[in-house]
Amino acid sequence: MTSRSIPSARWSGALLFLVLSVLLSGCATTPPLSEKTRASVPERHVIEEVPFHGQRDYQCGPATLAMVLAHGGRPASVDELIPKVFLPGREGSVQPEMLATVRRHGLIPFVIPGMMDAVLQEVGAGHPVAVLQNLSLSWLPVWHYAVVIGYDLGEESLVLHSGETPRMTVEMGRFDATWARSERWGFVALAPGDLPASPVGRRSAKAISAFESVQGVEAALPAWRALAERAPELALASFGLGNALAATGDAAGAVRAFRRAAESDPEFAAAWLNLGLVLRSLGRTEEAGRALRRAAAIEDPLQSRARSALDSL
Amino acid sequence: MKRITRIVTPFVIASFTMSSMPAMAAPSAVADGLVTTQEAMNADGATADRERIAELLSRDDVRNQLIAQGVDPAEVEQRVAALSDEEVRQMNERLDQMPAGASVVGVLFAVFVILLVTDLLGLTNVYPFTR
Repeated sequence: MTSRSIPSARWSGALLFLVLSVLLSGCATTPPLSEKTRASVPERHVIEEVPFHGQRDYQCGPATLAMVLAHGGRPASVDELIPKVFLPGREGSVQPEMLATVRRHGLIPFVIPGMMDAVLQEVGAGHPVAVLQNLSLSWLPVWHYAVVIGYDLGEESLVLHSGETPRMTVEMGRFDATWARSERWGFVALAPGDLPASPVGRRSAKAISAFESVQGVEAALPAWRALAERAPELALASFGLGNALAATGDAAGAVRAFRRAAESDPEFAAAWLNLGLVLRSLGRTEEAGRALRRAAAIEDPLQSRARSALDSL
Repeated sequence: MKRITRIVTPFVIASFTMSSMPAMAAPSAVADGLVTTQEAMNADGATADRERIAELLSRDDVRNQLIAQGVDPAEVEQRVAALSDEEVRQMNERLDQMPAGASVVGVLFAVFVILLVTDLLGLTNVYPFTR
Protein backbone atom coordinates (compact mmCIF):
# COMPACT_ATOMS: atom_id res chain seq x y z
CA MET A 1 0.00 0.00 0.00
CA THR A 2 2.68 2.48 1.05
CA SER A 3 4.96 1.35 -1.76
CA ARG A 4 2.21 2.33 -4.27
CA SER A 5 1.16 5.64 -2.73
CA ILE A 6 4.66 7.15 -2.66
CA PRO A 7 5.13 7.37 -6.45
CA SER A 8 1.57 8.69 -6.91
CA ALA A 9 2.20 11.41 -4.34
CA ARG A 10 5.38 12.25 -6.16
CA TRP A 11 3.48 12.50 -9.45
CA SER A 12 0.79 14.72 -8.05
CA GLY A 13 3.44 16.92 -6.51
CA ALA A 14 5.13 17.25 -9.90
CA LEU A 15 1.79 18.01 -11.52
CA LEU A 16 0.98 20.70 -8.97
CA PHE A 17 4.40 22.23 -9.53
CA LEU A 18 3.82 22.20 -13.30
CA VAL A 19 0.37 23.80 -12.99
CA LEU A 20 1.67 26.48 -10.65
CA SER A 21 4.62 27.34 -12.83
CA VAL A 22 2.35 27.67 -15.86
CA LEU A 23 -0.10 29.81 -13.92
CA LEU A 24 2.44 31.97 -12.23
CA SER A 25 4.74 32.94 -15.04
CA GLY A 26 5.90 36.01 -13.20
CA CYS A 27 7.68 36.73 -10.02
CA ALA A 28 6.78 38.98 -7.15
CA THR A 29 10.26 39.98 -6.11
CA THR A 30 10.99 43.65 -5.64
CA PRO A 31 11.77 45.19 -9.03
CA PRO A 32 15.36 46.35 -9.47
CA LEU A 33 15.98 50.05 -9.06
CA SER A 34 19.10 51.64 -10.41
CA GLU A 35 21.57 53.01 -7.88
CA LYS A 36 21.27 56.33 -9.63
CA THR A 37 17.53 56.50 -8.94
CA ARG A 38 18.00 55.44 -5.33
CA ALA A 39 20.54 58.19 -4.85
CA SER A 40 18.59 60.90 -6.65
CA VAL A 41 15.09 60.58 -5.16
CA PRO A 42 14.06 61.18 -1.55
CA GLU A 43 13.83 58.09 0.69
CA ARG A 44 10.05 58.43 0.92
CA HIS A 45 7.55 60.84 -0.52
CA VAL A 46 3.77 61.15 -0.68
CA ILE A 47 2.14 63.85 -2.81
CA GLU A 48 -0.36 64.93 -0.21
CA GLU A 49 -2.40 67.27 -2.36
CA VAL A 50 -3.75 64.72 -4.86
CA PRO A 51 -7.52 64.68 -4.18
CA PHE A 52 -9.17 61.27 -4.07
CA HIS A 53 -12.08 60.42 -6.35
CA GLY A 54 -13.64 57.02 -5.66
CA GLN A 55 -14.83 54.95 -8.59
CA ARG A 56 -18.35 53.67 -9.04
CA ASP A 57 -19.14 50.57 -11.10
CA TYR A 58 -16.61 50.41 -13.93
CA GLN A 59 -15.46 54.00 -13.76
CA CYS A 60 -11.83 53.73 -12.67
CA GLY A 61 -10.75 55.49 -15.90
CA PRO A 62 -12.79 58.64 -15.29
CA ALA A 63 -11.93 58.56 -11.55
CA THR A 64 -8.20 58.31 -12.33
CA LEU A 65 -8.48 61.22 -14.76
CA ALA A 66 -10.39 63.30 -12.23
CA MET A 67 -7.52 62.88 -9.76
CA VAL A 68 -4.64 63.75 -12.12
CA LEU A 69 -6.55 66.64 -13.73
CA ALA A 70 -7.39 68.18 -10.36
CA HIS A 71 -3.76 67.90 -9.29
CA GLY A 72 -2.71 69.58 -12.55
CA GLY A 73 -5.02 72.50 -11.80
CA ARG A 74 -7.77 71.53 -14.26
CA PRO A 75 -10.45 70.00 -12.02
CA ALA A 76 -13.24 68.00 -13.67
CA SER A 77 -15.90 65.83 -12.07
CA VAL A 78 -16.15 62.09 -12.65
CA ASP A 79 -19.67 62.60 -14.05
CA GLU A 80 -18.37 65.10 -16.56
CA LEU A 81 -15.54 62.77 -17.61
CA ILE A 82 -17.60 59.60 -18.10
CA PRO A 83 -19.14 60.61 -21.47
CA LYS A 84 -15.68 61.72 -22.65
CA VAL A 85 -13.74 58.55 -21.98
CA PHE A 86 -15.94 55.61 -20.97
CA LEU A 87 -16.74 52.95 -23.61
CA PRO A 88 -20.09 51.38 -22.68
CA GLY A 89 -19.56 48.40 -25.00
CA ARG A 90 -16.29 47.52 -23.27
CA GLU A 91 -17.42 48.53 -19.77
CA GLY A 92 -14.13 50.37 -19.43
CA SER A 93 -11.81 52.99 -20.86
CA VAL A 94 -8.97 52.44 -23.35
CA GLN A 95 -5.47 53.97 -23.14
CA PRO A 96 -5.57 56.29 -26.20
CA GLU A 97 -8.78 57.89 -24.97
CA MET A 98 -7.35 58.38 -21.49
CA LEU A 99 -4.57 60.44 -23.08
CA ALA A 100 -6.99 62.24 -25.42
CA THR A 101 -9.19 63.31 -22.51
CA VAL A 102 -6.22 64.79 -20.66
CA ARG A 103 -5.48 66.85 -23.79
CA ARG A 104 -9.06 68.10 -23.99
CA HIS A 105 -8.68 69.43 -20.46
CA GLY A 106 -5.60 71.47 -21.26
CA LEU A 107 -2.87 69.26 -19.78
CA ILE A 108 -0.25 67.31 -21.73
CA PRO A 109 -0.19 63.54 -21.12
CA PHE A 110 3.39 62.19 -21.23
CA VAL A 111 3.65 58.40 -21.27
CA ILE A 112 6.61 57.54 -19.02
CA PRO A 113 9.27 54.88 -19.62
CA GLY A 114 7.99 51.50 -18.36
CA MET A 115 10.29 51.20 -15.37
CA MET A 116 9.83 51.49 -11.63
CA ASP A 117 12.64 54.07 -11.70
CA ALA A 118 10.47 56.38 -13.78
CA VAL A 119 7.54 56.07 -11.36
CA LEU A 120 9.73 57.02 -8.42
CA GLN A 121 11.36 59.90 -10.31
CA GLU A 122 7.94 61.34 -11.19
CA VAL A 123 6.42 60.92 -7.74
CA GLY A 124 9.59 62.30 -6.17
CA ALA A 125 9.20 65.38 -8.38
CA GLY A 126 5.57 65.83 -7.29
CA HIS A 127 3.93 64.33 -10.40
CA PRO A 128 1.27 61.72 -9.61
CA VAL A 129 1.45 58.82 -12.09
CA ALA A 130 -1.67 57.29 -13.66
CA VAL A 131 -1.00 53.58 -14.26
CA LEU A 132 -2.76 50.71 -16.00
CA GLN A 133 -2.60 47.45 -14.07
CA ASN A 134 -3.90 43.96 -14.66
CA LEU A 135 -4.77 43.06 -11.09
CA SER A 136 -5.42 39.46 -12.02
CA LEU A 137 -3.57 36.99 -14.28
CA SER A 138 -2.78 37.49 -17.94
CA TRP A 139 -5.32 34.89 -19.09
CA LEU A 140 -8.04 36.33 -16.84
CA PRO A 141 -7.44 40.05 -17.00
CA VAL A 142 -8.90 42.56 -14.58
CA TRP A 143 -7.70 45.84 -16.09
CA HIS A 144 -7.58 48.73 -13.71
CA TYR A 145 -6.42 52.35 -13.67
CA ALA A 146 -5.04 53.87 -10.49
CA VAL A 147 -2.85 56.79 -9.42
CA VAL A 148 0.53 56.32 -7.74
CA ILE A 149 0.88 59.19 -5.26
CA GLY A 150 3.74 58.05 -3.05
CA TYR A 151 6.46 55.54 -2.21
CA ASP A 152 8.73 54.44 0.58
CA LEU A 153 12.09 53.01 -0.46
CA GLY A 154 12.86 51.61 2.99
CA GLU A 155 9.61 49.67 3.19
CA GLU A 156 9.68 48.94 -0.55
CA SER A 157 6.10 50.07 -0.93
CA LEU A 158 3.97 52.42 -3.03
CA VAL A 159 0.95 54.51 -2.08
CA LEU A 160 -1.95 54.50 -4.56
CA HIS A 161 -5.35 56.15 -4.89
CA SER A 162 -7.09 53.10 -6.32
CA GLY A 163 -10.71 52.09 -6.84
CA GLU A 164 -12.63 52.90 -3.70
CA THR A 165 -9.51 53.09 -1.53
CA PRO A 166 -7.57 56.30 -0.92
CA ARG A 167 -3.91 55.96 0.06
CA MET A 168 -3.68 52.21 -0.41
CA THR A 169 -0.24 50.84 0.47
CA VAL A 170 1.01 48.14 -1.92
CA GLU A 171 4.36 46.34 -1.84
CA MET A 172 6.51 47.30 -4.83
CA GLY A 173 6.87 43.65 -5.86
CA ARG A 174 3.12 43.05 -5.97
CA PHE A 175 2.52 46.33 -7.75
CA ASP A 176 5.18 45.56 -10.34
CA ALA A 177 3.69 42.11 -11.00
CA THR A 178 0.32 43.73 -11.79
CA TRP A 179 1.87 46.62 -13.72
CA ALA A 180 4.13 44.39 -15.85
CA ARG A 181 0.99 42.84 -17.38
CA SER A 182 0.12 46.18 -19.02
CA GLU A 183 3.71 46.40 -20.31
CA ARG A 184 4.20 48.93 -17.53
CA TRP A 185 2.02 51.64 -19.01
CA GLY A 186 1.65 54.91 -17.16
CA PHE A 187 1.54 58.63 -17.75
CA VAL A 188 1.84 62.00 -16.03
CA ALA A 189 -0.50 64.90 -16.89
CA LEU A 190 1.37 68.19 -16.84
CA ALA A 191 0.63 71.82 -17.57
CA PRO A 192 2.37 73.10 -20.74
CA GLY A 193 5.88 74.14 -19.70
CA ASP A 194 6.29 71.36 -17.11
CA LEU A 195 8.19 68.28 -18.24
CA PRO A 196 8.40 64.75 -16.88
CA ALA A 197 11.17 64.12 -14.35
CA SER A 198 11.93 60.80 -16.07
CA PRO A 199 13.95 60.85 -19.33
CA VAL A 200 12.45 62.78 -22.26
CA GLY A 201 12.91 62.08 -25.97
CA ARG A 202 11.15 61.74 -29.28
CA ARG A 203 8.07 60.43 -27.54
CA SER A 204 7.83 63.63 -25.48
CA ALA A 205 7.93 65.69 -28.68
CA LYS A 206 5.10 63.58 -30.08
CA ALA A 207 3.08 64.18 -26.91
CA ILE A 208 3.45 67.94 -27.30
CA SER A 209 2.63 67.80 -31.00
CA ALA A 210 -0.57 65.83 -30.29
CA PHE A 211 -1.51 68.39 -27.64
CA GLU A 212 -0.81 71.21 -30.09
CA SER A 213 -3.23 69.84 -32.68
CA VAL A 214 -6.01 69.75 -30.07
CA GLN A 215 -5.34 72.94 -28.06
CA GLY A 216 -3.58 75.11 -30.60
CA VAL A 217 -0.11 76.47 -31.01
CA GLU A 218 -0.29 79.25 -28.39
CA ALA A 219 -1.13 76.72 -25.70
CA ALA A 220 1.70 74.39 -26.76
CA LEU A 221 4.43 77.02 -27.08
CA PRO A 222 5.63 76.89 -23.43
CA ALA A 223 5.94 73.10 -23.70
CA TRP A 224 8.09 73.34 -26.86
CA ARG A 225 10.29 75.95 -25.18
CA ALA A 226 10.77 73.73 -22.13
CA LEU A 227 11.55 70.60 -24.16
CA ALA A 228 13.98 72.36 -26.51
CA GLU A 229 15.79 73.79 -23.50
CA ARG A 230 15.93 70.51 -21.59
CA ALA A 231 16.97 68.44 -24.65
CA PRO A 232 18.96 70.75 -26.96
CA GLU A 233 20.24 67.74 -28.94
CA LEU A 234 16.70 66.53 -29.73
CA ALA A 235 16.20 67.91 -33.25
CA LEU A 236 12.46 67.29 -33.22
CA ALA A 237 12.05 69.47 -30.11
CA SER A 238 13.85 72.45 -31.69
CA PHE A 239 11.90 71.85 -34.88
CA GLY A 240 8.56 71.87 -33.03
CA LEU A 241 9.62 75.05 -31.24
CA GLY A 242 10.55 76.62 -34.59
CA ASN A 243 7.13 75.92 -36.03
CA ALA A 244 5.36 77.19 -32.92
CA LEU A 245 7.40 80.42 -32.99
CA ALA A 246 6.77 80.85 -36.72
CA ALA A 247 3.04 80.35 -36.19
CA THR A 248 2.96 82.96 -33.45
CA GLY A 249 4.87 85.52 -35.51
CA ASP A 250 8.38 85.30 -33.99
CA ALA A 251 10.43 84.89 -37.18
CA ALA A 252 13.81 85.57 -35.57
CA GLY A 253 13.14 82.99 -32.86
CA ALA A 254 12.00 80.49 -35.48
CA VAL A 255 15.24 80.95 -37.42
CA ARG A 256 17.28 80.19 -34.29
CA ALA A 257 15.20 77.12 -33.47
CA PHE A 258 15.22 75.67 -37.00
CA ARG A 259 18.97 76.28 -37.24
CA ARG A 260 19.54 74.39 -34.00
CA ALA A 261 17.33 71.52 -35.26
CA ALA A 262 19.29 71.32 -38.50
CA GLU A 263 22.63 71.48 -36.71
CA SER A 264 21.75 68.72 -34.24
CA ASP A 265 20.56 66.49 -37.10
CA PRO A 266 22.18 67.58 -40.40
CA GLU A 267 20.14 64.96 -42.32
CA PHE A 268 16.84 66.52 -41.13
CA ALA A 269 15.62 67.91 -44.48
CA ALA A 270 12.47 69.52 -43.04
CA ALA A 271 14.56 71.62 -40.65
CA TRP A 272 16.78 72.99 -43.48
CA LEU A 273 13.71 73.61 -45.65
CA ASN A 274 11.82 75.51 -42.94
CA LEU A 275 14.94 77.44 -42.01
CA GLY A 276 15.32 78.48 -45.66
CA LEU A 277 11.67 79.47 -46.02
CA VAL A 278 11.66 81.67 -42.91
CA LEU A 279 14.96 83.31 -43.92
CA ARG A 280 13.49 83.96 -47.37
CA SER A 281 10.44 85.66 -45.84
CA LEU A 282 12.83 87.89 -43.87
CA GLY A 283 14.60 88.88 -47.06
CA ARG A 284 17.83 87.16 -46.02
CA THR A 285 18.12 85.61 -49.48
CA GLU A 286 21.73 84.51 -49.34
CA GLU A 287 21.35 82.57 -46.09
CA ALA A 288 18.01 81.19 -47.33
CA GLY A 289 19.75 79.85 -50.43
CA ARG A 290 22.38 78.07 -48.33
CA ALA A 291 19.74 76.38 -46.15
CA LEU A 292 17.53 75.41 -49.10
CA ARG A 293 20.50 73.92 -50.95
CA ARG A 294 21.17 71.72 -47.91
CA ALA A 295 17.50 70.60 -47.95
CA ALA A 296 17.59 69.95 -51.70
CA ALA A 297 20.70 67.80 -51.35
CA ILE A 298 19.05 65.29 -48.99
CA GLU A 299 17.30 62.23 -50.44
CA ASP A 300 13.87 62.78 -48.97
CA PRO A 301 10.26 63.16 -50.12
CA LEU A 302 10.73 66.88 -49.40
CA GLN A 303 13.45 67.20 -52.03
CA SER A 304 11.10 68.51 -54.72
CA ARG A 305 9.65 71.12 -52.37
CA ALA A 306 13.13 72.29 -51.49
CA ARG A 307 14.10 72.52 -55.17
CA SER A 308 11.07 74.58 -56.14
CA ALA A 309 11.66 76.92 -53.16
CA LEU A 310 15.24 77.28 -54.32
CA ASP A 311 14.10 78.06 -57.88
CA SER A 312 11.74 80.75 -56.69
CA LEU A 313 14.39 82.60 -54.65
CA MET B 1 -9.25 58.80 -64.75
CA LYS B 2 -6.02 60.29 -63.49
CA ARG B 3 -7.22 63.77 -64.42
CA ILE B 4 -10.52 63.26 -62.64
CA THR B 5 -8.65 62.11 -59.54
CA ARG B 6 -6.47 65.16 -59.71
CA ILE B 7 -9.51 67.43 -59.89
CA VAL B 8 -11.55 65.61 -57.26
CA THR B 9 -8.80 64.92 -54.70
CA PRO B 10 -8.46 68.47 -53.37
CA PHE B 11 -12.20 68.68 -52.79
CA VAL B 12 -12.26 65.34 -51.01
CA ILE B 13 -9.41 66.41 -48.78
CA ALA B 14 -11.00 69.78 -48.12
CA SER B 15 -14.36 68.30 -47.22
CA PHE B 16 -12.86 65.73 -44.88
CA THR B 17 -10.61 68.30 -43.34
CA MET B 18 -13.43 70.68 -42.65
CA SER B 19 -15.79 68.05 -41.29
CA SER B 20 -13.46 66.07 -39.11
CA MET B 21 -10.46 68.13 -38.06
CA PRO B 22 -11.66 71.05 -35.95
CA ALA B 23 -8.18 71.92 -34.71
CA MET B 24 -5.60 71.80 -37.49
CA ALA B 25 -2.15 73.29 -37.12
CA ALA B 26 -2.46 77.03 -37.48
CA PRO B 27 -1.09 78.51 -40.70
CA SER B 28 2.23 80.12 -40.15
CA ALA B 29 2.29 83.86 -39.57
CA VAL B 30 5.78 84.42 -40.95
CA ALA B 31 6.29 82.14 -43.97
CA ASP B 32 4.25 80.00 -46.34
CA GLY B 33 4.68 76.32 -46.99
CA LEU B 34 6.52 75.31 -43.82
CA VAL B 35 6.68 71.60 -43.10
CA THR B 36 4.44 71.02 -40.07
CA THR B 37 5.70 69.23 -36.97
CA GLN B 38 3.17 66.43 -37.51
CA GLU B 39 4.46 65.92 -41.05
CA ALA B 40 8.06 65.81 -39.91
CA MET B 41 7.22 63.18 -37.32
CA ASN B 42 6.15 60.69 -39.94
CA ALA B 43 9.24 58.67 -40.69
CA ASP B 44 9.16 59.44 -44.41
CA GLY B 45 8.99 63.19 -43.96
CA ALA B 46 6.05 64.37 -46.01
CA THR B 47 2.55 62.94 -45.99
CA ALA B 48 1.22 62.29 -49.45
CA ASP B 49 -2.37 63.26 -50.24
CA ARG B 50 -3.25 59.60 -50.48
CA GLU B 51 -2.07 58.90 -46.95
CA ARG B 52 -3.85 61.98 -45.71
CA ILE B 53 -7.15 60.65 -47.10
CA ALA B 54 -6.48 57.20 -45.62
CA GLU B 55 -5.88 58.78 -42.25
CA LEU B 56 -9.06 60.83 -42.40
CA LEU B 57 -11.04 57.76 -43.44
CA SER B 58 -9.53 55.90 -40.53
CA ARG B 59 -10.80 58.65 -38.20
CA ASP B 60 -14.21 57.96 -39.70
CA ASP B 61 -13.81 54.25 -38.93
CA VAL B 62 -12.90 54.95 -35.32
CA ARG B 63 -15.93 57.24 -35.05
CA ASN B 64 -18.18 54.40 -36.25
CA GLN B 65 -16.53 51.91 -33.90
CA LEU B 66 -17.09 54.19 -30.91
CA ILE B 67 -20.76 54.63 -31.81
CA ALA B 68 -21.04 50.83 -32.12
CA GLN B 69 -19.56 50.57 -28.61
CA GLY B 70 -22.38 52.72 -27.26
CA VAL B 71 -20.78 56.16 -27.19
CA ASP B 72 -23.26 59.02 -27.51
CA PRO B 73 -23.07 60.26 -31.15
CA ALA B 74 -23.07 63.83 -29.84
CA GLU B 75 -19.79 63.12 -28.00
CA VAL B 76 -18.04 61.08 -30.69
CA GLU B 77 -16.83 63.97 -32.82
CA GLN B 78 -14.82 65.59 -30.05
CA ARG B 79 -13.52 62.30 -28.73
CA VAL B 80 -12.04 61.39 -32.09
CA ALA B 81 -10.68 64.89 -32.66
CA ALA B 82 -8.63 64.68 -29.45
CA LEU B 83 -6.77 61.54 -30.60
CA SER B 84 -3.38 61.83 -32.30
CA ASP B 85 -2.87 60.21 -35.72
CA GLU B 86 -0.93 57.41 -34.08
CA GLU B 87 -3.68 56.76 -31.54
CA VAL B 88 -6.29 56.70 -34.31
CA ARG B 89 -4.21 54.01 -36.04
CA GLN B 90 -3.94 51.97 -32.85
CA MET B 91 -7.67 52.23 -32.16
CA ASN B 92 -8.47 51.24 -35.71
CA GLU B 93 -6.17 48.25 -35.72
CA ARG B 94 -7.04 46.74 -32.39
CA LEU B 95 -9.78 48.38 -30.36
CA ASP B 96 -11.24 44.92 -29.70
CA GLN B 97 -8.10 43.62 -28.02
CA MET B 98 -7.21 46.80 -26.20
CA PRO B 99 -7.30 46.52 -22.44
CA ALA B 100 -10.23 48.51 -21.10
CA GLY B 101 -9.42 49.55 -17.55
CA ALA B 102 -12.57 48.95 -15.60
CA SER B 103 -12.87 47.63 -12.17
CA VAL B 104 -11.63 45.84 -9.12
CA VAL B 105 -14.89 43.95 -8.72
CA GLY B 106 -16.72 41.35 -10.77
CA VAL B 107 -14.23 38.49 -10.90
CA LEU B 108 -15.88 35.11 -11.47
CA PHE B 109 -16.28 32.99 -8.39
CA ALA B 110 -14.94 29.94 -10.23
CA VAL B 111 -11.43 31.34 -10.16
CA PHE B 112 -11.76 32.76 -6.68
CA VAL B 113 -9.47 30.17 -5.18
CA ILE B 114 -6.71 30.50 -7.78
CA LEU B 115 -6.65 34.24 -7.43
CA LEU B 116 -6.75 33.95 -3.66
CA VAL B 117 -3.58 31.85 -3.82
CA THR B 118 -1.86 34.17 -6.28
CA ASP B 119 -2.90 37.15 -4.15
CA LEU B 120 -1.34 35.54 -1.11
CA LEU B 121 1.82 34.92 -3.13
CA GLY B 122 1.94 38.61 -4.00
CA LEU B 123 1.47 38.08 -7.74
CA THR B 124 -1.99 39.62 -8.09
CA ASN B 125 -3.99 42.26 -6.26
CA VAL B 126 -7.65 41.26 -6.59
CA TYR B 127 -8.80 40.85 -2.98
CA PRO B 128 -7.84 43.66 -0.61
CA PHE B 129 -8.30 41.43 2.47
CA THR B 130 -5.24 39.31 1.58
CA ARG B 131 -2.91 42.11 2.56
